Amino acid sequence: MNAGMGFKLSHLQSMLLFALLISIAFGFLSRRQPIERVKYIVWSLLLFLLIGVGIGWAMYPFSR
Amino acid sequence: MADETAPIEASPQDSTGETAAPGTPSQDSRRETMAYVIGVAGWLVPGLGHALMKMWGRAVMCFLTVGTLVILGAGMRGNVFSSTANDAFDWLGYLADLGTGTFYLVARSVETGGPDVSHAGGDYGTRFLATAGVLNLLSALHAYEAARGRKA
Repeated sequence: MNAGMGFKLSHLQSMLLFALLISIAFGFLSRRQPIERVKYIVWSLLLFLLIGVGIGWAMYPFSR
Repeated sequence: MADETAPIEASPQDSTGETAAPGTPSQDSRRETMAYVIGVAGWLVPGLGHALMKMWGRAVMCFLTVGTLVILGAGMRGNVFSSTANDAFDWLGYLADLGTGTFYLVARSVETGGPDVSHAGGDYGTRFLATAGVLNLLSALHAYEAARGRKA
């Protein structure tokens, strides 16, 4: 990550940051108990990453 | 993080656990007005709506997540749409960006070099900014509903 003129993130870093931030926000908004929040955040993060990588692989045959 | 006391005037219940009769019309009207104020405050400053209801955990996390998305999106030189939109998609982007409330001004001040969507980073930045706006709108709506006693 380079904070000179701006942030330069790779595709994977962008996806990880996006998934993490959204999962945390959803977890805090939709659950009240800390343990429930952690479960929701972890589960949501895993699904974000799994589906993101899955869609990436599904698009691979059309990339060239 | 310990958090989330009951929202303002949670549903009144008597000692038997049954829901009591609704408040007087003036109380309902006041509560509705407060809910609107809390919703608008939550939109203007991410997390402020929850903070007004002493839901500190949610307030801090809304502020941090929306703020981080805005700073990252603008730092990645995403497109911060303006009111001089050319087509429907630009307008949608503008509305999404406006969802961040006052953070829209932060995004414009951070992105002094203008957008650069010729690279993937800039395109991702545009999505980060739009997501921040929509997420803040969702948070403000949650605060509004909680203030009305519908959700906590």
